[in-house]
Amino acid sequence: MLAILIWLAIGLPVVGGLVVAFVGDSREKLQHVVAVGFSAAAAVAALAILPQAGADAAVSVSFGPMFGDLTFVPDGLGAFLAAVATVVGCLAVVFSVDYMAGEAELGRYYSLVLYFIGAMAALALTSNLFFLFLFWEITALCSYALISFYNDDPKAVAGGIKALIITQFGGVGLLALALAAYAQTGSFEISTFLAAAPSIPAVVLSVMAYGALLAAAAKSAQFPFHTWLPDAMEAPTPVSALIHAATMVNAGIYLLARLYPAFADVPGWRTAVVLVGVVSALIAALMAVVATDLKRLLAYSTVSQLGYMVYAVGAGGVFASQFHLLSHAVFKALLFLAAGSIIHSLGTRDMRKMGGVGRQMPFVRNVFIIGAIALIGLPPLNGFWSKELILEEGLLHGPGWAYALMLAGVALTALYTLRGVSMVFFSEDAGPHGHDAGRAMKTSLGILAVGTFVTWLLVGSFSRMMAETLPLHGLHELTIAQLASEISGAPATYLALGAALIGLAAWQWRRRIPGAQQSPGWLLAATESSFGLETANRLIVTAVQKAGAFLQRTQTGQLNWNVAGLAFGLIAVLIILAWSV
Amino acid sequence: MMSELSAQSVQIVFAGIILLFGIGLIGLMITRNLIKIVILLQLMAKAAILGMALAGNVAGKPGLGQSLAVTVIVVDTVVAVIALALAVQVQKTWGTLDLKDLSTLRR
Repeated sequence: MLAILIWLAIGLPVVGGLVVAFVGDSREKLQHVVAVGFSAAAAVAALAILPQAGADAAVSVSFGPMFGDLTFVPDGLGAFLAAVATVVGCLAVVFSVDYMAGEAELGRYYSLVLYFIGAMAALALTSNLFFLFLFWEITALCSYALISFYNDDPKAVAGGIKALIITQFGGVGLLALALAAYAQTGSFEISTFLAAAPSIPAVVLSVMAYGALLAAAAKSAQFPFHTWLPDAMEAPTPVSALIHAATMVNAGIYLLARLYPAFADVPGWRTAVVLVGVVSALIAALMAVVATDLKRLLAYSTVSQLGYMVYAVGAGGVFASQFHLLSHAVFKALLFLAAGSIIHSLGTRDMRKMGGVGRQMPFVRNVFIIGAIALIGLPPLNGFWSKELILEEGLLHGPGWAYALMLAGVALTALYTLRGVSMVFFSEDAGPHGHDAGRAMKTSLGILAVGTFVTWLLVGSFSRMMAETLPLHGLHELTIAQLASEISGAPATYLALGAALIGLAAWQWRRRIPGAQQSPGWLLAATESSFGLETANRLIVTAVQKAGAFLQRTQTGQLNWNVAGLAFGLIAVLIILAWSV
Repeated sequence: MMSELSAQSVQIVFAGIILLFGIGLIGLMITRNLIKIVILLQLMAKAAILGMALAGNVAGKPGLGQSLAVTVIVVDTVVAVIALALAVQVQKTWGTLDLKDLSTLRR
């Protein structure tokens, strides 16, 4: 039964993607129905896995001695992330019914989204590092194709290529990790690797640990790889909500959390993870403070919130990171989809041209504000509980400097969120406006808004599931009552709420703060260049192109030279072989 | 069943293989004539075929080596025929068989 559910959760979206493609773009209505039907069925199947979560492989398909078995293990981490991917995926597809109505090549859009959902569920559930790498790359490919969905727009194409290239660094890190695990343990199974980790030589283990960090940073858009995520906002907004806020970018956090028991004792690794999280959280929050593009604002905020999750893993709070991952997936998908309905209605992403849109779209305004409150981390929404849990873990187990910087990040989060909300909804009317959101849009927004209120109530069963199925992580159950008393009694909570209030006050009384009437010039310049990393990107690209042009000289097109090259290569290989024997 | 080759004859055959292959390789490095290239490729393929037969013998499975060799002979003949036909067409179209004149990658 469990095996069937797992195959359904992974297989239904993939089959759905094929069916949508075969339905053809001439029957748009049917395409909507098929996409929503298959994604909803997959979401139901993934939710049905949750109560049966266990630590043993439920599915195992042999792929010969090279790659090991393709195993799916519905443990706490995997089943949970698969559920998030399919449920948010289903809501994004429902939202697309309105958002993408009348778009050309709808089949391509829905197919890619559905393939993505299937690959993401498989990525979450598999426990074979090689297949994890495979699904990891499939999600990257879907992400690339969907960022460049409007493929006659050069910005969309450039954004897609950029995302593909930068996330490749992560793929290489993950592949190195998988191969090293295979070389050391003779198996790609994560459980085998985790059990054998203490006996792996320290040098190899630290290379693997930093490989995992590299993979996670590239996939989750963390410093210094964060530059791809804002440029990925050229994608249709439901895609941004699904892939670039709620699911794919979480894969990095998921990898860190899953392998945490093996790497926790590697010298310097946890500090490095904390550092990556803190730097990402802070610089992304700073960039969000001056953003004028609504989707880029949300993208910066995603990088920043992912930084909090990475920080939590580094501080030892694996459960806190996953709990915030859940909250963030819900409220950030809500924010993105609400932003999507505004953008769909107005035809612009510039927040300066949105003033007063709330009067035409009261429902969207209300749910956006709910999402914003969760993002700031005010009670009683889910963002409050999970962020406080992270900060508490950070205060108790992490370094003090990191905690102080994360508090500053909380204040910045409050500042940029309030700035965004007031620019979009509460500034002077910016002129004629569009229509209200459609029914499908409101359905998914409504469900996500309710989720923002209630997902934190799942903390008890969620923590029990993780504690029971992940014995090596040393987690323990945390009931709602414990959570509430822990959070309300901890000094970290009041420090964080104070920081959030400072941020809110800074925006409220910005006219009284000298020099704060305009965005500071240095910050605008720094944002433009992503704190110098955009410049570094360009330098690398230029260097690669120049090297290519230089190496072109070796391509003479002359058979004689090519054969000579082959012969010398053969001789070199023979010499190396003779040497090693 | 073929009788086992002595160690000495294995070495002789092996030297022959290297000789054939080396002639082909060095020839490919210095010639620019399309017909000669086909001939030289054939030389190298024959070296490979001999290698298969020899390897089958040394490994004690002469049948396997010989059947692979026969397969490659067939495939290799087809390659030679098509390559020669192309060479004829090249000569008809461009009036030359010199690779340097035919190359378009760099002028």
